[in-house]
Amino acid sequence: MFKHMSKTLLNKVFLLLIILPMVFLMVMPYMWMITASLKERGHVSEPPYLVPNTFDFSNYSKAWNGAPFGKYFSNTLFVAVVVVVSRIFFGALAAYVFAFIDFKGRDIVYFVYLSTMMIPFYAIVIPLYLLVNDFNWLNSYQALIFPRIVDAFAIMILRQAFISIPREYIDAASIDGSSHWYILWKIVFPMCLPSVITSAVFSFLFIWNDFFWPFLVANDTNLRVIQTGLQAFTGRYLTEWTYWMAGTVIASLPPVLLFIFAQKYYISGLSRTGLK
Amino acid sequence: MKQRKNSRYKISTTVLFLFPSLLVLCLFVFYPIIDAFRLSLFEWNNPARDPVFVGMENYKNLFMDDRFLNSLKVTLTYTVGVTFISIILGLIIANLLNNKNLPFRNFFRGLFFLPTVTPTVVAAMVWIIIFNPTYGFVNILLRNVMDMPPNWFSDPHWALPTIMLLGIWRRVGFTIIIYLAALQNIPNDYYEISKMDGANAFQSFLYVTIPQMIPTTLMLITLGFIDSFLVFDQVLITTRGGPSSTTEVVSLFLYTDAFTLFKMGKGAAISVIIFVIILVITLIQWRLVGFGSYEDIS
Repeated sequence: MFKHMSKTLLNKVFLLLIILPMVFLMVMPYMWMITASLKERGHVSEPPYLVPNTFDFSNYSKAWNGAPFGKYFSNTLFVAVVVVVSRIFFGALAAYVFAFIDFKGRDIVYFVYLSTMMIPFYAIVIPLYLLVNDFNWLNSYQALIFPRIVDAFAIMILRQAFISIPREYIDAASIDGSSHWYILWKIVFPMCLPSVITSAVFSFLFIWNDFFWPFLVANDTNLRVIQTGLQAFTGRYLTEWTYWMAGTVIASLPPVLLFIFAQKYYISGLSRTGLK
Repeated sequence: MKQRKNSRYKISTTVLFLFPSLLVLCLFVFYPIIDAFRLSLFEWNNPARDPVFVGMENYKNLFMDDRFLNSLKVTLTYTVGVTFISIILGLIIANLLNNKNLPFRNFFRGLFFLPTVTPTVVAAMVWIIIFNPTYGFVNILLRNVMDMPPNWFSDPHWALPTIMLLGIWRRVGFTIIIYLAALQNIPNDYYEISKMDGANAFQSFLYVTIPQMIPTTLMLITLGFIDSFLVFDQVLITTRGGPSSTTEVVSLFLYTDAFTLFKMGKGAAISVIIFVIILVITLIQWRLVGFGSYEDIS
């Protein structure tokens, strides 16, 4: 009995010894980032490096005020909310058709939808930029929002959830004379909330972490989103690394918190990225 | 009569429900991809003038352009390195995390995944400072063991590996999650049998786990290729392609030529080449693991 226990204990210690160095390498940049963000200005290259001993929160207020971070935050949040809601709204409509309404050529249309996932953004970026320019949308919310409001991945996730609903529910509601609109929003949608959350989390993280497209079409100070704002910030405060790190901590908090609280949904979505 | 009414109603619902998404996809995905093909046949270097039709000239010039060929080479090096190293690390770490004896498994899993949800701009900024030759943490540590640690981002030999390290750091969480899902699917009997045959833990990893991971690994290779081939943010922020084009990846080349030099026709030709490369990788993936068949594995 005792011998057995000590063997498992040894096993545990052994496993921990292997994994801890790897965990350390993964986490080290964060420890360094937080420590640096709390140091006095100009003291970044002095110890301690990984665990803070001073707590100078003034970097945060200086970074926050040194660039219009409040504006970047609200811009990004606005774009993210509109994109997330539209992707789910339009996605649910399309997913409903692909899940429940039979018509000739439906599978081909669905395949056409899914095929948009394998078109890399760099393949379409030039014509898209010219189009947005023709619409007079450069430096506007429209440019940040409209090209993003439909996403085949969200449609795929929702359709997979919809088809798992027993057909009897839909048929019973149809016989009662309910419209498709009613069936979708009052019966199907509430039954699929986990998948709705999954696609919302994906879309939010996508918009929050997005850099290239906003960098091209909306690099006006008033319209910058969080990532382009950060990038502009590095140009303005070239070696003010304590400010840099305060800025990066601020910009990382929303996605990291979202991941911590919605880990389950995020990971269930990831395992469906077979096409992405 | 009723039948007819029903089918008309069906058609209008289908049209109404699909119309908004189809409109957006046509306008912002299908039209641009077709237009990229069209534009790639024109020379258009001045926004004030009309494009001039040049046929395949842009492609011909690209494949004779050393800078472009270099950018393909750099991208391929990055892609192969990041994909394979993160797959190997992911496989090892997933197996450790899958061991029931390991304490804090879920907590560790979350930590490994954190870099994947961290914005690339943030990661790139942290990398710039940690790898600063004079003040960076990495060289502060290295100076204890060597006199002249590398200059990382400004050294032509080290710049690309330093960016690759960032790519691996952000990628490994993904491969861990996918491998963990796949590991749950190996029937326990397989391990029982190999134990009875006298295999030790390492041998059963080699002869039971590895062969069972082949479909997942093939999928991770193609997904990794697609993801890494399109790397852009971290390169723009850390090196802008330098020193002397050693980190100029193909997306950065596209950005520079199309959006800073305004060579839109040439840029469109690069777009089409990127499209074809990703298409070929995707088709290979479908051949190997089926169309969107990940659900079968997980």
